Amino acid sequence: MIFIIGGSDQGKCAFARETLGAAEDDFFICGEETREIDFSRRCIAHIERFALGCVRRGESVEDYWRANAARLDGKVLIADDISCGIVPVDATLRAWREANGRANAFLAGRAERVWRVFCGLGQVIK
Amino acid sequence: MATFISGGCKNGKSYFAQRVAKAYGAPLYYVATMIPHDDEDDARILRHRADRAGWGFETLECGRDVLACLERADARGSFLIDSATALLSNEMFAPDGFHAGAPDKVAAALVEFVRRAPNTVVVSDYIYSDAAVYDEWTLAYRRGLARVDRALAQACDCVCEAVAGQIIVYKGALP
Repeated sequence: MIFIIGGSDQGKCAFARETLGAAEDDFFICGEETREIDFSRRCIAHIERFALGCVRRGESVEDYWRANAARLDGKVLIADDISCGIVPVDATLRAWREANGRANAFLAGRAERVWRVFCGLGQVIK
Repeated sequence: MATFISGGCKNGKSYFAQRVAKAYGAPLYYVATMIPHDDEDDARILRHRADRAGWGFETLECGRDVLACLERADARGSFLIDSATALLSNEMFAPDGFHAGAPDKVAAALVEFVRRAPNTVVVSDYIYSDAAVYDEWTLAYRRGLARVDRALAQACDCVCEAVAGQIIVYKGALP
């Protein structure tokens, strides 16, 4: 599994297409409303939105990834880094920031390779 | 060979950019992009002016239409544009209203700027990693600045990020 992280709108999906050879229909784009990830797709993007949906529903996103760990082999997971701002005043967003961080650490820990994308340019950080 | 520098607030971007411009050589131009709106802005401008004092920069005031300042300068000189962030904000949230096309306009103008004046260093701000849910205007602005940043990262020979005064190079070599 390859994990790609970076700030919003940095070109992470474009990077997956250009550098990892992903095709347009390889992508499953998560939303807050996503309840089940489509693991038939190679690339799973915006997993931070999936995490926010889990938090809003009172579910553990980390538990979801742990339960589906065997299905992550060969996948490309793509996440917006939401960890660097002010601690949100809103309790849900605060919980999201923490749950997302724990989930990312689990996923990056399992990944063979972790990329950080900055302004469209990738840097290997694992 | 143009340089693009981004990073968080108070991480040393402007100081680094001043050193890059100095390394490019004279004449040195500082493209001042902020259009002051209040006392806080005036104070910030005075602080930046004091930081630059003695470096030998000629200041070109240019809050919008950044290419226009090349008509008042020697394009073979060194230019410090501080910042893409302010230019986009000035163009996008102009006195006559919201301009959705501002990111494309600013990106194209800055790419053309570094083509005409290759000894240019452009400063931007890394505003992409917080856990906030924004209104559509803020999202459009953030997405727009990312578009400008990525266009510049492609057009510039050297791309770096300032973190706590340290410089991480993503592309090319430091001038």
